[in-house]
Amino acid sequence: MTTTTKVSISEKVKEYVKNAASIPPDMELKNDTLIFDEGLFDSMGFMALISFIDEEFGVQPGDDELVVENFESIDAIVNYLSEKLSA
Amino acid sequence: MTDKKKKFSKDIIKLESVEQTVDRIVNKLKKDVFVHLQRKGGIVGISGGIDSSVSFALAVKAFGKENVLGIMLPEKDSSSDSEVLAKKLADKFKVKTVVENISGALEGFGCYRRRDEAMKRVFPEYNPETYKSKIEIRQNILKQNMPAIFSLTIIDENGTSKSKMLPMKEYLQIVAASNFKQRSRMSMLYYHAEAMHYAVIGTPNKHEVEQGFFVKYGDGGADVMPIGDLYKTQVYELASFLGVPQEIIDRTPTTDTYTAEQTQEEFFYQLPFEMMDLLWYAWENDYEPAEVAPALGITEKEVENVFKTFLRKKKTTEYLRMSPIRNY
Repeated sequence: MTTTTKVSISEKVKEYVKNAASIPPDMELKNDTLIFDEGLFDSMGFMALISFIDEEFGVQPGDDELVVENFESIDAIVNYLSEKLSA
Repeated sequence: MTDKKKKFSKDIIKLESVEQTVDRIVNKLKKDVFVHLQRKGGIVGISGGIDSSVSFALAVKAFGKENVLGIMLPEKDSSSDSEVLAKKLADKFKVKTVVENISGALEGFGCYRRRDEAMKRVFPEYNPETYKSKIEIRQNILKQNMPAIFSLTIIDENGTSKSKMLPMKEYLQIVAASNFKQRSRMSMLYYHAEAMHYAVIGTPNKHEVEQGFFVKYGDGGADVMPIGDLYKTQVYELASFLGVPQEIIDRTPTTDTYTAEQTQEEFFYQLPFEMMDLLWYAWENDYEPAEVAPALGITEKEVENVFKTFLRKKKTTEYLRMSPIRNY
């Protein structure tokens, strides 16, 4: 996985989260913002994120990959996707 | 935390007096139905489950057996136990019942067809004639602070099961189609209520109301909810006191919505109800995880994860509890 590709994954994921999540007007979305702790995604939002990952990157997480460490922030999602795509 | 707050323990939600609680609910039910709602009695949809049985028994105590009607509302996916147990309950309290099979109405709405279409998109081999199915949450609420992801499980005639995470579109279609069941039941309950000038006695308990485990204008559609402020543990306390048949008390709470056996824990709560009751009490009364964890034999982190899930559930299901917005 090249740095450029990781940057492009990051941009796509960030753009998606920015558009899909209910971000309060006074909140700045950072790459390490904890999206579940901040209440940015509910079940529907999370399921939509999983669908986005499948459609955009062709990655379908297995049951054992549906853990908070892989999805808790934009950084976590990007790292998870980068690993999956380079495997 | 105030000085008056009780020390957290496993017995903290145990009712101080079951008899007094029953008296309080019964008196309020009488006043609400006879005086406020100006109705002559109560209609209760009985499923053989603990919540509807306790609501039914309270209604009988409040209005008298001659002013209560029990309605059984089976459909083709219902467990046969449901009707048998509901009849046993009504017989014990000497209350009249009516059986209204809603399968025809559901066929008319396309409930089964719409649900099965979505299931087939996930598992092309799925055949409703030969497979059973259910929706589950497979994450561990104690270990993970994440919103639920739903999986579809299908089970063939040999008992072999397969599960797959549900894409959002299919999940929403399956739930929307299945919700015809609760909404059709509500319509039928109101038919009987209006025909007899009775009130519809709703059966959701505190968790169902507050965590949003009900269908808006389905089982959430009622005139009064006598157990709507009781924890499940307390509902069981009332059941024994009121004389609900032991088979109903011993039965594992199920959704009775999908064809495969599915407990409420699998579909929604993700925790055994005894633990969920205590954690919900702790959360809504602002107990610290450090005090709650040792009493329940789990870690502080696990308590924190559950509290975060509760907060998320309460927030995201607010829509279900809202009346139509009309201040325009």
